[in-house]
Amino acid sequence: MDERPTLELLTPERVAVTLELSGIGARALAWLADALCIFLLSVTGLLVYSISGDLLRDLEALSLAGQLLTAVSVLLAGWGWDVVWELLGEGQTPGKRLAGIRVVKADGGPPGLSESLLRNVLRAMELPLGYAPAILSVALGSRRQRLGDLVAGTLVVRQRRYDLSRYDRPAEAAARRFPQLRGRARPALAAEGFERLSEFLRRRPDLEGKARSRVAAVLAKTLAVRAGVVTPEEADAEAFLEAFAAWYAEGA
Amino acid sequence: MSGSARSVAVFVRAHREGWERLSTLAERAQRSRLPLAEVGELDRLYRRAAADLALVRARFPGTDAEGYLSQLVAKAYRALYRPRARAAALARLVRDRIPAATRRHPGALLLAALVLLAGLGGGALAVAIDPAAAELLVPLPAREAMAAGRTWTGQLLSAAPGVTGAALLHNNVTAAALAFGLGLSAGIGTALLLLLNGLLIGSVLAYAAQHGMLADLLGFVAAHGPLEISALLLAAQAGFVMAGALVEPGEWPRRAALQAAGREVAPLLALVVPALIVAALIEAAVSPARTIPVEARASLGLALLGAFWGWLFSGGRSRSGTS
Repeated sequence: MDERPTLELLTPERVAVTLELSGIGARALAWLADALCIFLLSVTGLLVYSISGDLLRDLEALSLAGQLLTAVSVLLAGWGWDVVWELLGEGQTPGKRLAGIRVVKADGGPPGLSESLLRNVLRAMELPLGYAPAILSVALGSRRQRLGDLVAGTLVVRQRRYDLSRYDRPAEAAARRFPQLRGRARPALAAEGFERLSEFLRRRPDLEGKARSRVAAVLAKTLAVRAGVVTPEEADAEAFLEAFAAWYAEGA
Repeated sequence: MSGSARSVAVFVRAHREGWERLSTLAERAQRSRLPLAEVGELDRLYRRAAADLALVRARFPGTDAEGYLSQLVAKAYRALYRPRARAAALARLVRDRIPAATRRHPGALLLAALVLLAGLGGGALAVAIDPAAAELLVPLPAREAMAAGRTWTGQLLSAAPGVTGAALLHNNVTAAALAFGLGLSAGIGTALLLLLNGLLIGSVLAYAAQHGMLADLLGFVAAHGPLEISALLLAAQAGFVMAGALVEPGEWPRRAALQAAGREVAPLLALVVPALIVAALIEAAVSPARTIPVEARASLGLALLGAFWGWLFSGGRSRSGTS
């Protein structure tokens, strides 16, 4: 299949799990989203402070509380944001959640305080350089790690949304039009091929008319030859493909 | 099992319900503690999903079913094997791991202190021998303020105290993070950073002495300075430990040695940041307050210094000796 870098890990039950590593795009998106959150929080904080600041300065006791609050919130916004979220969110900050990525240790577990501190404190090395070292090492490195990931031993993996509904029991009407496919659709197609077929069926409304019928015709011809049935008319190609997918999903 | 005759679709339909139940349970386990019966169910479903994954990998490789199951098993794995009892881990970190981490590498700490002292002595000496050196070493705003005889406290009080504290904190945390991170430059960057900070402090002190403001300056920094510098030294120590792993990884590959060193010094980072928060709060609230006598400020600073290093060099000793 495709050459996307992956994290291979073995659970204690010795089951191999493959997780896809995140590329630079999703990570940049996550960073931007987090930066936006921090920015909005800071603006809100400044607003609240400027409204209540005079009051705080008048009352000595409140002033100290205000300082504590400000100091800690600035720290959290600038430095602690990632650490706190990665600990509470099982390796996901709000931005990472949006981008569909997650920080994991090399064994697949969520990062602990040590890992999260290490990988985020080392941002201090990359930020003054415009994140250039991070971008290069994520884009070019085989394990897609930043400097901080390298030292902390963490990786960033993709969290895809999979739609299992394509495996649902198919509508009978589609299958009935091409009964000759019974018992022939299943052996003609590998599981991966079925997914390509159902992917085409799902996405065809987005395809431009001519391209859509051309792809359908090519697919129908290939599959008909493989199954050993007569190639359908070009106008019937999509109905044939639907029936093919239906007979396959039926298990026959 | 009727084996290879079954399609991936039939397989998914047969197992999907259990997978989705496992997904729900794993999500709930991440948020709260599950009742015992459900933990058992989680464990059972996890094992079944792991077996399903092994089967799907062999028979339907490259399918969405494989991708879905990989993520599901990883998620359930995270839920089952996540560290519990965070409070206990935190207590152990404070009681044992932080002091142990600093004591395990006395050489790195000594090196950091020596480099800082060298910078400090050099800066002070340079300004003392040739007052013109101050133009190079002492920042202009500080020179102007001292030449005009203005006090430090007056300057700092003009800004909102909370904002000042936050800015100070941000600078200090950045400096500490760099002192640590620059350890990756084989320690050269860390040493430079310490040297420059030492030069700055030494030259400012000498310049202040020449203008008869040494007492005023020392009075200002007495409360927060010791803790601030201690935290910087600790960050630099962590940086030097990483540099050591990089330069001399021993029998390990460099990457593994670096990761091991990172794990060892991470507890120090967990201390540096809170220490800097305390120092910044004192710098913003106590140091500029004229109502607090110098003696009180100095004893606060010394008490913090003693507590900090006393705890690092005596805490958790009984346990770390046995491990």
